[in-house]
Amino acid sequence: MSGAPAMSRWRGPLRLIVKRIGLAFLTLFLVSLVIFTISGLLPGDAAQEVLGQSATPEQVAALRHEMGLDQPGPVRYARWLQGILVGDPGQSLVANKPVADIIAERLPNTLTLAALAALVSVPLAFLIGIASAVARGRKLDRALNILTLSMVALPEFLVATIAVLVFAVKLLWLPSIALIPKDPTLAEFVRAYAMPVMVLTVGVVAQLARMVRAAIIAELDRPYVEMAQLKGVGRSRLIFRHVLPNAVGPIVNAMALSLSYLFGGAIIVETIFSYPGLASLMVNAVTSRDMPLLQACAMIFCAAYLLLVLIADTVAILANPRLRQG
Amino acid sequence: MKRRSLLRRAGALPLSGKIGLALVGFWILAAILGPLVAPYPPGAFVSEEVFAGSTSQFWFGSDFLGRDVLSRLLVGARLTMGLSAIAVAIAVALGTGLALTAAVGPRWLDELLSRAMDTLISIPSKIFALVLVAAFGSSVLLLTLIVAITYVPGNFRIARSLAVGLARLDYVEVARARGEGRIHIALVEMLPNMIRPLCADIGLRFVFIVLLLSGLSFLGLGLQPPEADLGALVRENVSGLAEGALAIMAPAVAIASLTVGVNLLIDAATQGNVK
Amino acid sequence: MANVISTDLSRRMLLGGLAAGMTVGGASGVTGRPKAGGRIRIASTNASTADTLDPAKGSTATDYIRHYMLYSGLTQFDGQLRGQPGLADRIVSQDNIVWNIRLRRGVHFHNGKPLTAEDVIFSLLRHRDPAAGSKVKTVADQFAGARQTGPLELQLRLTGPNPDLPAILAVSHFLIVENGRRDFSKANGTGPYTLHEFAPGIRTIVRKNRNYWKPGRPYLDEIELIAIPDEISRVNALLSGDVQMVNAIGPGSVKRVRATSTHSIMEIPSGLFTNLIMRRDNPVTANPDFVLAMKYLQDRELIKRALFRGFATIANDQPISPADPNFNPHIPQRPFDPDRAKFLLKRSGLLGVRLPVYAAPVANASIDMGTVLQEHAAQIGLKLAINRVPSDGYWATHWMRHPMTFGNTNQRPTTDMMFSLFFQSKAPTNETGWNNARFDRLLLEARSTTDAALRKEIYGDMQWIIHEHGGLAIPTFISLLDGYDRRLKGMFPIPLGAFMGYNFAEHAWWDA
Repeated sequence: MSGAPAMSRWRGPLRLIVKRIGLAFLTLFLVSLVIFTISGLLPGDAAQEVLGQSATPEQVAALRHEMGLDQPGPVRYARWLQGILVGDPGQSLVANKPVADIIAERLPNTLTLAALAALVSVPLAFLIGIASAVARGRKLDRALNILTLSMVALPEFLVATIAVLVFAVKLLWLPSIALIPKDPTLAEFVRAYAMPVMVLTVGVVAQLARMVRAAIIAELDRPYVEMAQLKGVGRSRLIFRHVLPNAVGPIVNAMALSLSYLFGGAIIVETIFSYPGLASLMVNAVTSRDMPLLQACAMIFCAAYLLLVLIADTVAILANPRLRQG
Repeated sequence: MKRRSLLRRAGALPLSGKIGLALVGFWILAAILGPLVAPYPPGAFVSEEVFAGSTSQFWFGSDFLGRDVLSRLLVGARLTMGLSAIAVAIAVALGTGLALTAAVGPRWLDELLSRAMDTLISIPSKIFALVLVAAFGSSVLLLTLIVAITYVPGNFRIARSLAVGLARLDYVEVARARGEGRIHIALVEMLPNMIRPLCADIGLRFVFIVLLLSGLSFLGLGLQPPEADLGALVRENVSGLAEGALAIMAPAVAIASLTVGVNLLIDAATQGNVK
Repeated sequence: MANVISTDLSRRMLLGGLAAGMTVGGASGVTGRPKAGGRIRIASTNASTADTLDPAKGSTATDYIRHYMLYSGLTQFDGQLRGQPGLADRIVSQDNIVWNIRLRRGVHFHNGKPLTAEDVIFSLLRHRDPAAGSKVKTVADQFAGARQTGPLELQLRLTGPNPDLPAILAVSHFLIVENGRRDFSKANGTGPYTLHEFAPGIRTIVRKNRNYWKPGRPYLDEIELIAIPDEISRVNALLSGDVQMVNAIGPGSVKRVRATSTHSIMEIPSGLFTNLIMRRDNPVTANPDFVLAMKYLQDRELIKRALFRGFATIANDQPISPADPNFNPHIPQRPFDPDRAKFLLKRSGLLGVRLPVYAAPVANASIDMGTVLQEHAAQIGLKLAINRVPSDGYWATHWMRHPMTFGNTNQRPTTDMMFSLFFQSKAPTNETGWNNARFDRLLLEARSTTDAALRKEIYGDMQWIIHEHGGLAIPTFISLLDGYDRRLKGMFPIPLGAFMGYNFAEHAWWDA
């Protein structure tokens, strides 16, 4: 009999996970359709982009044929789909290399940068959010509020450029571009990542901290909190055992969004710091009309997002007894 | 009646709220009147000197082409305010509306909407905007729509998660047991309880839209010249940053004061007296 | 008169070019003997997955630099864009049609294979195949054929006379690859550096080729080539010491770089220009009064002063720059004259038209030029809409495809190339779509004349024709601005492009 409650605790999430994995494939399929459709609306194609200003019609025709672009759209899409179903994202039209090789070169970079930024920003956001919720209306709250607001008050590219001017050009403390050597020492690693991580953190912390604060405050206003206080439950116990678990739904959701932003939204940071990540690769794929590469990038971003959301929902269900039966 | 209560509410705001209100009010005024009081046409080349400092003739100096910074700032403020406000309104109306529909509607509808939103949101917003601008161009109208669409799924997710949480609460179940219709439950029982966390989201989303616009101009996808929103003004004058040119400081301060003001006001207004 | 390029003849010219360049390149170049050793990193403006090791497919400065580091050409440019001996130590022609080329002895590819005439024949003729995707196919189409006349000798036959062949062969696309090479996932050239690492869109690392055919060269041990697309970031990377040389410094950043004691700017007056193209196939932009009005509306002084901070040369609506030996100085400068423009527009009856002008960041400064034009046009009552479109897709879908678009043309190695690519009636990239029989006739006449002075005179007439009747407005020629660490020495400007016409790698040395 003792096993039953534990089973029921996990049954909901397990069902959810299985169902979500099925739905994830559906979503990935939809994303690939959307990408294929809108990229069909883009002016020009890969052959024209490769040949550029000096292209002659017969060269364009020859290159189109070589790239298979002379086939009708649906045929190309079906061929791509066939490949991706067996795990082969195809050949890059522009780079003459397997898409998998190109991605393999960049994916670790993006993962590292996103992980580092998350590692810094999530604890920071929780700290700020909880502190200002608890100190609601008081000086600390207001100060933290001003802090988070001023963090998102300026465009990311301006923040990054100012940071470079100060830390790289004036003080000469940090490199202005994030070039990671092959086998970096710890010091090289930290120096190279310091500024990109800082700029990304600035953007993400504010949103996350404010969501944490808002969600906790919403819970603090519920009657059960007052009751618990009347019963003499300690402050930190109240926050961490009662309020946080209930507020966790919106918080982990906001977290999933922030993290997926760290993953795919680093385009400006990647551009300014010349960091070879996936976001700039995807922009590159758009501008060179390299369909297989573009699709692969979209698939990765989508999968990462779905995974984060799944984790968020699982955590929310596990943490909140009210959702568990669902 | 209504106006008096609004006034009283403004008076009852905490200091931060009053500051926010003042900033937002200032920028709304600037957006409405600015182009009328601008001393020069925003596109005119009025100064021989580029990145000039403040003079009696050009209060905020001249920009990278020798145009009057103040005039361009006033016109830019209108574009930024108008475009962002409309885009955020569309995004929130669509996002929250769909979220409520998903929360009270049949299960399949919820799934359908959630998958559709997942599809949209999983494409990074700046890259999504880049593809749309490349495909459809970047007129003011299109840019507003693109930015709004980019932010619908984010709002949807947060609103849906709030609504689903609420849907399981006792008083909503009571209302359901009373036999209230779905629309009644969504609008009367759920929406009011979502407003406070949603407002925080709306405030930030407004900020994000202002910043996304500037990010787009960084990527060369913003409004068509000579029109320029505040972010584009920062971007086009960024080469004056190292010398601390007013041409970049002024729009940067404008963006900062606008975004901070909006959030201070929303924070303060949602602090106490919502049910 | 025979056209001869050989090592004996050109030693004097080469030295002259070097000496002239060194004074421009900064005092650093003159003092001290080159030192061997050192590792530098340089940044150009763009890199993508399209980065290539195939010289034929090079399309960006980053590609050209990479190719010149890894491969050598039959000839090399000097400071005046003349072709000097490279892998060929002698190029001779009596009629400018049949060219006899003799190769240098003892040159080896990086893999040890000796260079032969077969490699050269393959390298030149491969461009004619459309499937090769060569950027210079239209140029290579004039190669009628080539045959080997000795182990190190060959004869190249052209379809018609072309006195500029030695200069054409110095272009990076015609760099020499191994016979039969079609797979360019690796680079096997005869250039000053060997490939160490190549990651398209990320970086190229090359190391000193110890068997390079120029004794004592190159000087540097290793060069890393990266790209930093954002101009401000590129300048910051230079000033913070993360890279030692960059190109395409914005005119606005020159003051910042010059204010330091550690870095300097190399200004390269080049023939690069951004031009407004008015198509002949549209009734409005074909109207001669309208076209002339647009030319009078060019505020050349403002563009030079505000857009380029003086780092530009006023142009006169024709494509040959004053730095070019073939420049015709006798054409009077067309002034900025809004009143005359208004009069012409009124006369044409086109004052009320509303026309879009297409511009893109890829056409250097075109958006700002469009903005300037738009403002001046508005003041005389003409409404122009500036349609800024993304850089990608611009050349394929917008450039020359609308009545008014902006073009952007790099310095070409020869006047003939400039005229035949962009102004000959039948050229695929005849930007304005004009059809001037006299111009076409003069172009052929210039090619077949063996007298250089007469050729210059003909080129001068052709500049007149474009200035008067051409459908394009060229407000300025744009100077190229490279920034470099003062310890990097041995460089002089070559007007073809940044980084010494992309070929700095075998000249530069590090004075640590």
